[in-house]
Amino acid sequence: MNVKWRLGMFFIAGACFLFFYLIAARNLPPWGHYPGPYGDVISSLAVYQRHATDVVNAIDYDYRGFDTLGEEFILFTSIIGVMLLLRDPKPRGGTAESDEGLSKTVKVSAGGLFGITLIFGLYICTHGQLTPGGGFQGGVIVATAFMLVYIAENLRRFKAIASHPLMEVLEALGAALYALVGVSALAVGLPFLTNWIPLGTTGDVFSSGTIAIISASVGLEVATGFILLSYTYLQDIVSGREE
Amino acid sequence: MLAFHLIPYAVAAWLFLCGLYGIVTSGHLVHTVISLVVLQTSTYVLLLAVGFRWGAVAPVFADISPGVVTVDPVVQALMLTDVVVEATVVALLLAMVVKVHEKAGTLSPDDLRMMRG
Amino acid sequence: MTTAPALPVAVPMLCAAFLAAVRKWLPRFFIDLVAVLAALFNLVLCLWLLHVSWSKSIVYWFGNWFPRGHMVVGIGFVIDPMGATLAVVAAFLTLLGLIYSSNSMESGKNHYQPLMLIFLAAMTGFCFTADLFNLFVFFELMSTAAFALCGLKTEEPSPLQGAFNFAVTNTVGAFFTLTGIGILYGATGALNMAQMGMLLGSRHDSLALTACLFIITGFLIKAAVFPFHFWLPDAHSVAPTPVCVLFSGLMVELGLFAILRVTSVIFGSSFAGAHDPLRSSFLVLGGTTAVWGGMMSFAEHHLKRVLAFSTISHSGLMLFAMGVGTPKAIAGWLIYVCGHAAVKSGLFFTAGILLHRLRTMSEPALFARGKGLKFTAVLWFLGGCGLAALPPFATSIGEDMVSQAKHGSLELACTAFFLVSGILTGGAVFRVFMRVFCGWGDRGPSDRAAQVDELPEMNEEHRTIPFRIFAPAAACVLAGIGLTFLPDLDSMLLDAAKRVLDRAGYIATVYAAPQNAGMAVGHHGLKIGTMIAHGIIAVACAWLLASWAVFHRSIPRRLRWPSHMEGSMRWVRQLQSGQPADYVAWAMAGVAALGGALFLMK
Repeated sequence: MNVKWRLGMFFIAGACFLFFYLIAARNLPPWGHYPGPYGDVISSLAVYQRHATDVVNAIDYDYRGFDTLGEEFILFTSIIGVMLLLRDPKPRGGTAESDEGLSKTVKVSAGGLFGITLIFGLYICTHGQLTPGGGFQGGVIVATAFMLVYIAENLRRFKAIASHPLMEVLEALGAALYALVGVSALAVGLPFLTNWIPLGTTGDVFSSGTIAIISASVGLEVATGFILLSYTYLQDIVSGREE
Repeated sequence: MLAFHLIPYAVAAWLFLCGLYGIVTSGHLVHTVISLVVLQTSTYVLLLAVGFRWGAVAPVFADISPGVVTVDPVVQALMLTDVVVEATVVALLLAMVVKVHEKAGTLSPDDLRMMRG
Repeated sequence: MTTAPALPVAVPMLCAAFLAAVRKWLPRFFIDLVAVLAALFNLVLCLWLLHVSWSKSIVYWFGNWFPRGHMVVGIGFVIDPMGATLAVVAAFLTLLGLIYSSNSMESGKNHYQPLMLIFLAAMTGFCFTADLFNLFVFFELMSTAAFALCGLKTEEPSPLQGAFNFAVTNTVGAFFTLTGIGILYGATGALNMAQMGMLLGSRHDSLALTACLFIITGFLIKAAVFPFHFWLPDAHSVAPTPVCVLFSGLMVELGLFAILRVTSVIFGSSFAGAHDPLRSSFLVLGGTTAVWGGMMSFAEHHLKRVLAFSTISHSGLMLFAMGVGTPKAIAGWLIYVCGHAAVKSGLFFTAGILLHRLRTMSEPALFARGKGLKFTAVLWFLGGCGLAALPPFATSIGEDMVSQAKHGSLELACTAFFLVSGILTGGAVFRVFMRVFCGWGDRGPSDRAAQVDELPEMNEEHRTIPFRIFAPAAACVLAGIGLTFLPDLDSMLLDAAKRVLDRAGYIATVYAAPQNAGMAVGHHGLKIGTMIAHGIIAVACAWLLASWAVFHRSIPRRLRWPSHMEGSMRWVRQLQSGQPADYVAWAMAGVAALGGALFLMK
């Protein structure tokens, strides 16, 4: 279609879109005066019902845990999809890729940051039920720590970690663990994904029952998933550059 | 003060339109994918605006006592998982783009004529 | 009932994770076996859930978060007969697809089977859920698995481009839907569909209209309604056969099901009334899509694109049925969906047989090469009859019920659209039958899209067609006929339809409130005579159209218009440009037009 026609269509339709959006927004409650009730009900209940101080993660892994299971599997599916699409990297012609390009300062700093980032990521993963964080965010930080290995060293060292056969197993395990926690509730006669483990004391790391377990399993899945993702891309791009 | 209350929704609508404009006028497949990310951020702005409360605190009771007025935790929970998940969906789309470039040698939609009806 | 409703979603997901973990070490046969067993488990379980849900819809609260007073705290499933039926269709088609591809189709190093299982889990959850954001999450999961499956064959650039167009268009739709959900959440403060319906009430202001518009946009894109349909032929011409089966057989129809669910539960009270702008828009959009899809179907020469456009045409008919909106029309919609799923899947599997034996999907290249494949020819011919709604195919029952739903001019329009769609799409299938299986006429015009040559999906050659490839095609066609003979079919369909449209009953189920005594379930007298007459007229005209196109050289020049239609229509076909920018521009125009109609007819 002619580019002018396309743009014309876009501007007219865009103006209509803006119009619909804004007159709908006029009828929303005024900005900054959220009326509830869903958020308020959960805010007031979460600490008492689940001994979790981070209400957002309590919603994510308990009240609306089934949604998060679906979202985690979207992540899992996308990573399978990327591995599927990039499954035949072009054959590498030359020798192992050189270490040139990054300065010594960058490499040493990256190496030094690896440990701190990893610990920080694990902290975020395991303290999701207490403070903002949780599996998704912590997992990304842990994956970033391993990306620092690639920057500090070279692709060969990163490959030794990322292409280890255990990596895919751990990723699938992280995804499966979430569903298995749900099935465990079925085994004790409760509906799927019920938080049936003893809830512990509010404020402890080992509190809020299955929320902590689910958060940890999501962290495992996201971390290994992003490492696999990065490795799949790097393998494809770096091998391409060798041509 | 009605216009003031419309500000976040206007921002969300504008972002949405910017993303759509990027897709509609795109000359490069990666540009199309990144425009999708802009569309995504528009929905986040909308969700967060809907749940906001003046003078309220974050819905984390680690250091405050329960009963204090907080903003809506539900929209934050919805958004949280969405951010990480959509990042991987974008990764999937970029993997398609990488493969297209590898097989067809070009990233311009105008030059990719295989799907012409 | 604390275990069963969660399993159809949880078990395929667990199996997919397991298969993804062991894919490198276990033999292909074992992985295929686990996948087939998981799909079979789903089929049996969903049939059982269907059986239980007839008397009373099953309600299930995840995490044991049942509602507190009026506030719904958690996510719930409400399994009613229509949702359970669609879940059964999903499991059936996935099972057949996995059998078709077992041990032979290129599986991308065993990534394919986990993706199919996740696709199945997502479709099942989509049918059952009672929570609007959960619906969106399963919509996204379904879409992501679909994108990955569509781009399975990475040896050529065209599958990737088709998958990319599909992905961009559907993701834009998903974000439209999320915007609508956000606006609706801001207005009602809840995410459960029943609670939102209660809180929204009969509010008919610009907020309700805009939220409805945005939410159904994403689903209309998924349902491939004109002008949101441009992605579907691209995706179908490059996806592997079992994936095409799932797309055409169910994924597109699930978009329509979501519209039905959302408009009846959430906006049921808001849009009630004699002059309903939404229903009228559905009638117009549905009719346009039916005709457009039919015309484009006849103009194509790539077998899978012919079938893809016929899916678009039939999707238009289904939207038209939703536009009529009465319980009888929705009952007709349900049986038409099931019948169409069976027939279309049979046609796609048959096309897969041709691809397996003859290594191409291009009609000119296949000319007369199908002469030896007798059973395949029979299946293809029967599929064409099914598309033209010939009794005893279940599609004919659907047509009859929808036509009889509202008498008067709507009945005439209905019959007309069904006939036109049946003649055009059936004609396209018959034309292919004549050229490929009978070798009549000549090769016919070729075009660029037909040359998108599919790489063979299987990596071996056989002299005979293996059973596992032939069986799914035959099973689908037989199912398309067998559905007609289910006992008490019409009262079952009417019951399912009334349950879906019964907003008060749905809300009462969610809140476990005592419901009104079951409504009297009517019976529908099938006008068998009319059905047979319509069917025979459609098949005869389709055959005539096909032979007109095939034997165009023997016809005087002045009367050659069908072959002109087949060969030219260039300006219309150029709209299918293969560029996602065009598709998104058209989708925006569609949103603007639909919104304009809703607001002007308020």
